[in-house]
Amino acid sequence: MVGILSLTLLTLLLTAVLTFLSGRYAKFVALAGSLVFLAEVGLMIADFTQWAGFGAGGVPQYNYSETYPWISLAWLHINYTVGVDGISLILVLLTAFLQLATVVYSWNESKSPALWFGLVALTGLGCFGVFVALDILLFFLFWEAVLIPMFFMIGYWGGPRRRYAALKFFVYTHVASIVMLVSLLALAFYSGASSFDFGSLYGPARTLMPATQVVLFLGMFFGFGVKFPIVPFHTWLPDAHVEAPTGGSVLLAGLLLKLGGYGLIRWAVELLPTGAHDLAPLLYLVAFTSIIWGALVALAQRDLKRMVAYSSINHMGIVLLAIAVGSSLGITAAVLLMFAHGVVSGLLFMVSGSVHHTFGTRDVSALGGITPRTPALATMVMLGALASLGLPALISFPAEFTALLATWDQLGYWVVVPLLLLVVTAAFYLWMMQRVLFGPPKGIPPTAHDLPRVELAGMAILAGLAIIFGVLPGLLVHVIVSSPISGWP
Amino acid sequence: MSLAEFLPEILLLAGALLIFLFDVLGRRRLELVGGVAALSLGGALLLVVADLGVSGLAAIRTVPAGSVDLPLAPSLYAFTSLGFVFQVTFLLAGLFVAVASLSRPSDEKGASVFFGLLLIATLGMMLVAVASDLIFLLLAIEVTSLSTYLLVAYPRRDERSLEAAMKFFIIGALSTALSFFGASLLFAAYGGTSFYALGPGVAFVGFPLLAEIGYGLLIAGLGFKVTAVPFHAWAVDVYDGAPTDVAAFLSGGSKKMGIFAFFLVFLGPILLLRSAPDALPATFGASLQLTLGILAVLTMTVGNVLALRQKEMKRMLAYSSISQAGYMLIGVAVGTYPAIAGAAFQVFAHVFMKTGAFLVVAAVAGLGVGPLIEDWKGLGAKRPALSVAFALMLLSLAGVPLTVGFVSKFVLFSAAVEAQGFYVWLAVAGLLNSALSVFYYARVLKAIFLDRPDPTSPVAGPLTGRIGLARSAVIAVAAVAIVGLGIYPGPVLSGISTAASHFVGIGA
Repeated sequence: MVGILSLTLLTLLLTAVLTFLSGRYAKFVALAGSLVFLAEVGLMIADFTQWAGFGAGGVPQYNYSETYPWISLAWLHINYTVGVDGISLILVLLTAFLQLATVVYSWNESKSPALWFGLVALTGLGCFGVFVALDILLFFLFWEAVLIPMFFMIGYWGGPRRRYAALKFFVYTHVASIVMLVSLLALAFYSGASSFDFGSLYGPARTLMPATQVVLFLGMFFGFGVKFPIVPFHTWLPDAHVEAPTGGSVLLAGLLLKLGGYGLIRWAVELLPTGAHDLAPLLYLVAFTSIIWGALVALAQRDLKRMVAYSSINHMGIVLLAIAVGSSLGITAAVLLMFAHGVVSGLLFMVSGSVHHTFGTRDVSALGGITPRTPALATMVMLGALASLGLPALISFPAEFTALLATWDQLGYWVVVPLLLLVVTAAFYLWMMQRVLFGPPKGIPPTAHDLPRVELAGMAILAGLAIIFGVLPGLLVHVIVSSPISGWP
Repeated sequence: MSLAEFLPEILLLAGALLIFLFDVLGRRRLELVGGVAALSLGGALLLVVADLGVSGLAAIRTVPAGSVDLPLAPSLYAFTSLGFVFQVTFLLAGLFVAVASLSRPSDEKGASVFFGLLLIATLGMMLVAVASDLIFLLLAIEVTSLSTYLLVAYPRRDERSLEAAMKFFIIGALSTALSFFGASLLFAAYGGTSFYALGPGVAFVGFPLLAEIGYGLLIAGLGFKVTAVPFHAWAVDVYDGAPTDVAAFLSGGSKKMGIFAFFLVFLGPILLLRSAPDALPATFGASLQLTLGILAVLTMTVGNVLALRQKEMKRMLAYSSISQAGYMLIGVAVGTYPAIAGAAFQVFAHVFMKTGAFLVVAAVAGLGVGPLIEDWKGLGAKRPALSVAFALMLLSLAGVPLTVGFVSKFVLFSAAVEAQGFYVWLAVAGLLNSALSVFYYARVLKAIFLDRPDPTSPVAGPLTGRIGLARSAVIAVAAVAIVGLGIYPGPVLSGISTAASHFVGIGA
């Protein structure tokens, strides 16, 4: 009996293959596949009443879990094991929405559409796999599988320096995944776990010597951190974003960055609690650096897309801070914030893409007063910026608030640092809005039209999410806390 | 000793003799001699596999823990489970090349020389896989080497082939001399040349200095055979100059023979180092292992870096072949049975990906496409099936998930991490190298699938040449095996792992 997770994987695989093969009709196949994917995820969430709890020996169990032996040698046991808890389920939900929004937004893609939509579906498949895999090899397989479509999206559809950006993206993230893989393998073999399954790693890994845990955690922190990305390993991100096509940027910021955060929580913090605890000062340092660096550099950007990219570094810094705090409240905040950032940065990258091809430039200082001419686009710019700077009733606010609350619990007055930088974030977004949206019209070509319907629809999906979950964040939190690590104490 | 034990080898010899007899009688038709060669290789393969099936890997021999799976008394040969795995590998490589060569232009001369020597070369490799004595091993290697020198030179009118054969011969003679000199020093040090005498079964007696020099010379001598850096310089010119089908056999078959020789020669002292570190002078075992480790890292790094700069498809594949030898040497340097299993699986996988890739190159050359990578531009649109098969082979060489190359590398590197300590760095080096290798494979894929052909290139034309049914079938089998074993490696991998555990005396 095939479970719903395998069924979803199969759906995504089938979507990707059929999309590649269906030529002109690729977008319809991709749309249908994305809708089925969303429906399956919706079913899972509707059916998800509570987390499966701890099993024998204090090993966490997972909902909808399936396990089949894959490679079984005397010294190597690899299974196909999938399963979800609240944390992964929320990120799976994000994957489904972002894939759908990307397909809708890039509906009119004319350069090799079959290839484009196939790669979008493949990215969704890879990310879904990463979130549900509970075996080292399976996890690594999906982790690497995400790299390939993104490499081609940047390298084929990207801007003028796309080859450089694609290569840099590939080198940074691939070297990081190698360090991550070696750390995971070392974790399995040094702990003497009976297989590569998350469940059988759980007990032995948590009882490893503190010194070993620290070394292994360091390796994983580097591996997952580059995806975050953490300062000083962040320089691939602005380049990748600036060169990537809009859909690629949406998936990159919305999903790929979340892989790092999710991996850190599931495979590093959960398996190596002592290592995480002992290295907390380092994590705080890196998190604060990323928060400060991201915000200040974003302030100095004139390119709208680069600004959003650096604000991503800032936001992911807050995610890292919330993870470093280590409390269940912190983990909950981190996951909520990842969801929020996925939605909002996706929206903002769509907005900057549309600004670019409506006005021919993304330079903030070259534009002005676009509201009368393109009211829908201006509304979306405003909504995205306000959501990103943490306006209450939009989705980032509850997430950031919880993150700061968790930081206050553990670090006391240090919370002032991220708070002050939130002011900087607000400053550069408000300043951007003031220059681009209001004032006398500037830099508007006579041919500029308001948003095409499909682009508006793509944005509307994400904007709707930002508003709904901004008003009712409890819907998400209710699911997120159903996990072994983010549950209320 | 009973002759029945050597039935597969006898079959190969009989096939070769029959082909030479036909040659004398003037019957040289390609279908006839090729058919005889393919049948005897296929028959030998069936016999070996049936033998494995009947006796089962587990039943072959039980040996005391901590010793190599070899006879307890000195003997020239021994049937080991790992030896069987390598025999299967060699026979597969030979069979692939033989069947694919049935599709050559039938007016080509020298078919009987080609197929006859192919059988003799495979016979030598089969004997390497059962050697349990250093001299026997070196003689068996020599059987293969002599036939492959001639194989490289068989298109007698082609100057490039002759030059390659000459290089191959001179270097080969040098490596043989080094190996035999090393063997004579080991004989002086141990008083025997059986691997039993060299192995961990006996306490280390004799003269450490002689043994060190002897092993050093053997590293150099056998290093030439596996194209380990710095003994690799000949390989690229030879692969490039040799007929492409011969290059396929050299990289997929005879080089792997060198890997098995490495196992036989160096595993004894390495295992002794693990089981009884005090029995050896401390510097000796450690320095041997360190040397092999450095050799592995150098080989894969230099091979990969040089492959990055190549413009010709064959030379690129030759350098990538060198780097792959580096991965396999990790298995020797680590010396635990998981690592041996990983290396053996890598060798097995290599038949499908590297031999297959060279066979595709020969097929594409047969279509009239030039030797440069840029000559392949746009081939994906013209020959989609062939291009997809080639892409699978390259992706597998690069170690991309869901191909057999990924599984073999994953197992190999896992095994290095499993051995812990110093060996973890070998895994890191191997993984970084895999990352590096992606670039030159990706470049080829880009040329094939994304670039448009130059207007003057044959690919831009109608491209009417035929590949031939036999060659297409081999390429298809290799491509299917790459994906099949990549998704479900289970039975094959566990068989090889059991064999490896017997080889070092752990399984029982």
